[in-house]
Amino acid sequence: MKELSTYTEQELITALKLRREEAFNYLYDHYSAALNGVIRNIIPEVHTATDLLQEVFIKIWRQIDNYDPSRGRLYTWMFTIARTAAIDHVRSKSWQNSLRNSELTEGSQQLADHNILPSDELGLRKIVHTLKDEHKAVLELSYFQGYTQEEIARLINIPVNTVKTRIRAAILQLKKKIKR
Amino acid sequence: MDIKAYIESGIIESYVLGLATPQEADELQRLSQTYPEIAAAVAGGEQWLRETADHYALPAPEELKTQLLARLEHEFQPEKQAPDLRYYRRDLFKYAAAVLLLLLTVSGLLNVYLYNNYRNASRDFVRLQSGIDMMAADNKAFQAKLAVLEQDLRFITAPGTIKVPLAGVSGREDYFATLYWNTQTKNVYLTANHLPAPAPGKQYQLWAIVDGKPVSAGLLNPNCTDLCMVTPVQQAQAFAITLEKTGGNPTPTSDQMVVLGKVKA
Repeated sequence: MKELSTYTEQELITALKLRREEAFNYLYDHYSAALNGVIRNIIPEVHTATDLLQEVFIKIWRQIDNYDPSRGRLYTWMFTIARTAAIDHVRSKSWQNSLRNSELTEGSQQLADHNILPSDELGLRKIVHTLKDEHKAVLELSYFQGYTQEEIARLINIPVNTVKTRIRAAILQLKKKIKR
Repeated sequence: MDIKAYIESGIIESYVLGLATPQEADELQRLSQTYPEIAAAVAGGEQWLRETADHYALPAPEELKTQLLARLEHEFQPEKQAPDLRYYRRDLFKYAAAVLLLLLTVSGLLNVYLYNNYRNASRDFVRLQSGIDMMAADNKAFQAKLAVLEQDLRFITAPGTIKVPLAGVSGREDYFATLYWNTQTKNVYLTANHLPAPAPGKQYQLWAIVDGKPVSAGLLNPNCTDLCMVTPVQQAQAFAITLEKTGGNPTPTSDQMVVLGKVKA
């Protein structure tokens, strides 16, 4: 892999669009661990997460022509694909039913103890769970479970604008914790 | 607008994490085009996302890369595409040439076959044509012969025609000829039933016997084999044929008479 360091982000995109195998190798070697982390923060189960990661790379490879550099960095685009894939999975299966039947509507306090939360939460999710409850709830529901702000407003019975400001505040708190 | 407050509200991070509403995202993109500080903050947010991802990165299982490379094996493009195309074209040429050669061979064989057929048909045609020509010629000859026979028959059966058999004289009993004389038209026909070919320099001559005297009735044409017309005879009681010198004689050589027949009244 000696030639890999020669790719700039733009060169990598160009080579990917030319469907070069070495570009795919570089992409995988440089981003697979980061994207795997994103997926496994949402779906800790290794096999499911690995299957999803495979589909994410296939999707990145086949849809690279859809990537528009003027709208953001390559990683941001790939991150969105990976997180969307994981969220779609979370929301499509029996997980969703158990979520719908859960007692989330009763309040954010019970969220941390809820049985649908993975006990072996990893990385970012572990940090999120150290935040105070009102921040933990909105990040858990929005980032890890893919609920829209309107859905969260209904679930925890607060106005949409409050959800919006809470999410922003929670992220700022999270950012501080990560820096530490 | 308080740009600093907007940037520090957490909207940037919310946006890059994908947690912003579509309205928030639209607004942020619009503002980042107007305010370079906001665009820079978004770039900073993306950088933060990238660093965070690295911070929480987890190596993927080893076998995943192998699986992916196997799955995408047929989607990778080699550095150069031109040679492939050239080989493809060359193959196409080879294929086309083979097809053309085959067609040419078939066409050639067909030509030979058709030429042979043509030659046979042409030969048959010529053969038929000459057969038809020969039959036409025969037909013409038969028609001519038939016409002669019809004419002869008409003469023989015409009213006034009498038949005079000429029998061999003593010593020439096997000689025989038949004469037909129309007493109305005076025409005379003779057929030599059995007269030996005259010796060179000799010719048969016909005589009409009128009141006991022979009158020349003309020479027998040696080429005439059927019913031969001779000189008309006005009157006769008998006819005789003598063998004379070629061109005939004014008076018959009496010891040279070969046949004789009387006209029956």
